[in-house]
Amino acid sequence: MNILLVALGGGSGAVCRYLLGVWFINHTKQWIIPTAMVYVNVLGSFGLGIFFGFIYQEIPYMADDLYEQALFLLFGLGFFGAFTTFSTFSVEASLLVQKKRWKRLSIYVALSILGSILAFLTGLFLGGV
Amino acid sequence: MTQQYWTIISIFIGGAIGTLLRYFINLQTVTLLFPIGTLFENLLGSLLLGTLTGWVAVKVIPSFLKVGLGVGFCGGFTTMSTLAADSAFLAGQASLFQSGMYLITSLIGGVLFALLGMLLGHRLATKQKVGERA
Repeated sequence: MNILLVALGGGSGAVCRYLLGVWFINHTKQWIIPTAMVYVNVLGSFGLGIFFGFIYQEIPYMADDLYEQALFLLFGLGFFGAFTTFSTFSVEASLLVQKKRWKRLSIYVALSILGSILAFLTGLFLGGV
Repeated sequence: MTQQYWTIISIFIGGAIGTLLRYFINLQTVTLLFPIGTLFENLLGSLLLGTLTGWVAVKVIPSFLKVGLGVGFCGGFTTMSTLAADSAFLAGQASLFQSGMYLITSLIGGVLFALLGMLLGHRLATKQKVGERA
């Protein structure tokens, strides 16, 4: 059962990331950094924050049975985990390193990492922490 | 079925397998305060996506396989939302120093592993191409 929830959440999270990424590429202006996955990661971190705040009123990592809870497996670990991605971020960042575009790299890294953390915290507080 | 359906099906399957693998690794490390599992997954996933990127720069592979492995598997195996939650959790429960170390290790490690992967993928694909000609 747990395995099914993780697979379902992860599969649909990945598909949503792809569809939204394509939509962002087609409907937003080209900028100096690759922005589609920045938007997706910030949005997904915001979503995880709201989920944690609304359901748990905290970041539930101290909960003993967290990995047995259906909602956490489906949404927290599954959907939002797979909706956001780190590997694309690393590859995009390393392409900027290869081209020695240091200024773009710092903007990209700051927006991705700090943007995701701020979005997560905003979601957490909006959710009710 | 059209190409678009196959793309979505392979991303779903790749994403489900990648997420399951992340789940199994997390289960081994869930008792630790430091999110070593997520760190490991994000670094290994960066290496794999880098390798795939380097490989497809040289060789053509079927589109469903490319998106299934890249967008699906590597995307689902790695995660940014958990990284954001982990660093907030560490800052609150452990220390700002640990949170900062976690972020810096993820960031620098991720870029280094992606670069290494691209070199590796490029080299493997080039080697195979030379082999094919002979």
